[in-house]
Amino acid sequence: MTTTATKTTIEYDDTPVRQFMIASIAWGIVGMLVGVLIATQLAFFQLNFNTPWLTFGRLRPLHTNAVIFAFVGNMMFAGVYYSTQRLVKARTTSKFLSQLHFWGWQAIILAAAITLPLGLTRGKEYAELIWPINIAVALIWVVFGINFFWTLARRNERSLYVAIWFYIATIITVAMLYIVNHLSIPTSLTHSYPIFGGVQDALVQWWYGHNAVAFFLTTPILGIMYYFLPKAAGRPVYSYRLSVVHFWSLVFLYIWAGPHHLLNTSLPRWLQSLGMIFSLMLWAPSWGGMLNGLLTLRGAWDKLRTDPVLKFFVAGVTFYGMATFEGPLLSIRPVNALAHYSDWIIAHVHAGALGWNGFMAAGMFYWLAPRLWNRPLHSVAAANMHFWLGLVGILLYVSSMWVSGITQGLMLSATHENGTVLANPNFLDAVTSTMFLMHIRALGGLMFLAGFIILAWNIWKTASGAQAVNGTVEVFVEEKPRAMGLIGGFANAPVIFITLLIVFAMGWGALPRVASGLCLWAFLGTFMGMIAHKEYTKATWGQWYERLLENALPFTVLTAVSVFVGGIVQIIPTVIIDTAENIEGVRQIPYTPLELAGRDIYVREGCYNCHSQQIRTLVGDVLRYGDYSKMGESIYDHPYQWGSKRTGPDLAREGSKYPNSWHFFHMRDPRQISPGSTMPNYPWLFTDRTDIASLRRKIEVQRKLGVPFKETTQAEIAESCRVQGEAIVADLKTAGAETTPDRQIVALIAYMQKLGKSEVVAPEQKSAHPKTAAK
Amino acid sequence: MSKPRPPDEDPLRPHSYDGIQEYDKRLPNWWLFTLYGAIVYAVIYWAYYHAYGTATDDGAALKSAMVENTAAAARAAGSSGVLNDETLWKLSHDQTKLAAGKVTFDTMCASCHKPDMTGLIGPNLVDNQWIHGGLPMEVMKTVTEGVLAKGMVAWGPILGREKIAEVTAYIMAHHHPGEEIVKVDAWIPPGVPAPLPPPAPAPAPEP
Repeated sequence: MTTTATKTTIEYDDTPVRQFMIASIAWGIVGMLVGVLIATQLAFFQLNFNTPWLTFGRLRPLHTNAVIFAFVGNMMFAGVYYSTQRLVKARTTSKFLSQLHFWGWQAIILAAAITLPLGLTRGKEYAELIWPINIAVALIWVVFGINFFWTLARRNERSLYVAIWFYIATIITVAMLYIVNHLSIPTSLTHSYPIFGGVQDALVQWWYGHNAVAFFLTTPILGIMYYFLPKAAGRPVYSYRLSVVHFWSLVFLYIWAGPHHLLNTSLPRWLQSLGMIFSLMLWAPSWGGMLNGLLTLRGAWDKLRTDPVLKFFVAGVTFYGMATFEGPLLSIRPVNALAHYSDWIIAHVHAGALGWNGFMAAGMFYWLAPRLWNRPLHSVAAANMHFWLGLVGILLYVSSMWVSGITQGLMLSATHENGTVLANPNFLDAVTSTMFLMHIRALGGLMFLAGFIILAWNIWKTASGAQAVNGTVEVFVEEKPRAMGLIGGFANAPVIFITLLIVFAMGWGALPRVASGLCLWAFLGTFMGMIAHKEYTKATWGQWYERLLENALPFTVLTAVSVFVGGIVQIIPTVIIDTAENIEGVRQIPYTPLELAGRDIYVREGCYNCHSQQIRTLVGDVLRYGDYSKMGESIYDHPYQWGSKRTGPDLAREGSKYPNSWHFFHMRDPRQISPGSTMPNYPWLFTDRTDIASLRRKIEVQRKLGVPFKETTQAEIAESCRVQGEAIVADLKTAGAETTPDRQIVALIAYMQKLGKSEVVAPEQKSAHPKTAAK
Repeated sequence: MSKPRPPDEDPLRPHSYDGIQEYDKRLPNWWLFTLYGAIVYAVIYWAYYHAYGTATDDGAALKSAMVENTAAAARAAGSSGVLNDETLWKLSHDQTKLAAGKVTFDTMCASCHKPDMTGLIGPNLVDNQWIHGGLPMEVMKTVTEGVLAKGMVAWGPILGREKIAEVTAYIMAHHHPGEEIVKVDAWIPPGVPAPLPPPAPAPAPEP
């Protein structure tokens, strides 16, 4: 194949690696510091400081976004830029794009760090950033993608190593998820409503949310593991065929698992089932990655005693294995009934974020620093101390949250008198019972942060005064062999057989009886045909796969297709159905302008971080909060506010439960009404005025989205707000609460009292209503 | 069982990426078992609930479970004594019941009625003015069913019959049988000026 080969020396561009690494450490400390603060707020409400931008509801999104996108994001980019160049023996193609990527990403993070505390949010978890920042993220991601694929195209290594497979899957999938979940219509420069509402928004959100974990926090880090771990251990990777099997099964299965965040809710049952069974099937593929990591150390375990890098990697991969066993476990519906909305989920994500992401990052940084600055690590002892401090920190954190989560789950679902009476009717009992665990978790987090500060010091001492160096490699530049092309990539036995098998399997699962039976037979026939084909032609699929590895384009397209399948099956049917027809007999009553303004305040303050609005089909939930939530009860909610955590009680049927004055006094000082509450005070709601001026534009956008608001003028809106506000103020006055109709507390009370208000819809009446499908 | 070989004897794949080599070890059997096991489970689960069977409607299942629970609870409660005004007055002298009632009152009721029952958001319970009746069974009914329009929660499904009886006893311990009961229309919280009387009729002179 090779006709000529010229020898040349390539100098890698390691500047972006250094930049991303330093940024990751800096933002990591910020993100963890905010984490420690908000963890402490749950033990000491006073640390909310009665200040809007320091309250839990606004800082928790800052914490999650900083850790995911700033800490792990920058770490991932550092690892990708370093390893890709070496794995494909080519310098990153464009220095300009690298710098645009780096500075663009930092600008995005900075914008996030400013806007989130200001209460500018889209109100969806890990997708809080406002729409102009969303566009910037998408653009910078494309810059990253171009730079990456352009480098692949100019590679001097014919075949793609498994780390590159994972990077490809990451770039493609994150782009798809991010764009779909951020589709919104702006109402102003800083505010927008997502185009999906209610159950559709919930589904799209967790399709995204779950796969942000999968393709932002997992696949790129697996790629990084596949490069840095064998490098550090000096051992070959355990099994290539395990890499192949676990890569393809992971990327195909992961995308289906999102609905496990919505078990026992009003999400259609078939989607809940898919979420559960695909999560269970994910267990083995995830553990494939762990096995390939840990077993690569065969013959090198002794190095663990001396090398802090390997200590971090081994602990990190072990936590990955633990978290990916826990994930499927939590996806089993009855287990989820106990664990969902509780601190158990917090334990689970921190086993992943601190253990897997945090430790893989630390191992990689300790390995990289001496190579990037050509000087031994300043202090191995300090790195070891970091390891033990971090490890004990994680264990304290995770175990305290396990205990707390299971306690909360058991206490809140326990009943007396044959399941007719709650054993712990006061929600606060669960809060006070787990209070001391909040202290332990804050301590664990603080220890982990302290370890990371030691890392920052250690790396700084290693790098300061040292000369930054770029790696070099001598390569033989070969003429490229003839490429496989897209047709060659797909028109071959393995792709055809696998595609047919998947199509028929899905046909069996989804189609009505007769067609389903046909699909089953077609599946069996294809399977037999595949066996016969292999026997007859003596085809070895391994050879085909190795040829595929030499062709980035068909490889990328195949990866994209296997990722898209799950999304298409779950998302498309749910978002194109007529929402007006799928409401389970009740339909939400649309908000009045004042209630809509109150809802935007609710979203702004991040109430969904602690309060759910979704009563599950469980005895404990129904006894405590009222009848279970139906699909139709949130169809006009853009964004949906079902929430994912109950630090406080569910609010789905909060309307009319308490008098207006209850909310008034409770928002001013929750402890006056609910002794022992950890909720912040919201004094600014009593002084700040409700934003009425933006309502006309907001209502216009909601109308476009299918919410049956009447066409209205600004004067009508203002009048409607005044009348409803004055009624609330008059009622408050009879209870000794003085305020004026233009205050935000009045709008918020109007919204709180609307929660759970719906009308019963007779089946034949459904279509009489204006079409409200959000298509 | 073959003897474990030192890892270095395993065949390496020919290719090396930046010095990284790969073995091509067989997939561990236990790992394959978890993979295939989960797939088989998924197929059976889907077949049982969706492809051939029917998934139970979660809402309907919940409702029937709760109906059964209620029936079972009613059967169990049948043996625990009759509640009427007389037995409730008796309970209001039972120190253990009062202690239990006080705990429930302080955690669930005191936030609106104040710990000393003199009223805040909800009405005063120690004076002789009653909106929904002041006899023990009437108080118990109000607690059980709530006054939703005024924000009084229906405590029946939350507290249960026994706890509500205790709370009622605790409230009635501040009263005595035969006490005068004045029927009023609404509760006026402390610190709020009483609504001005209509201007036309002159205030009645004090007797």
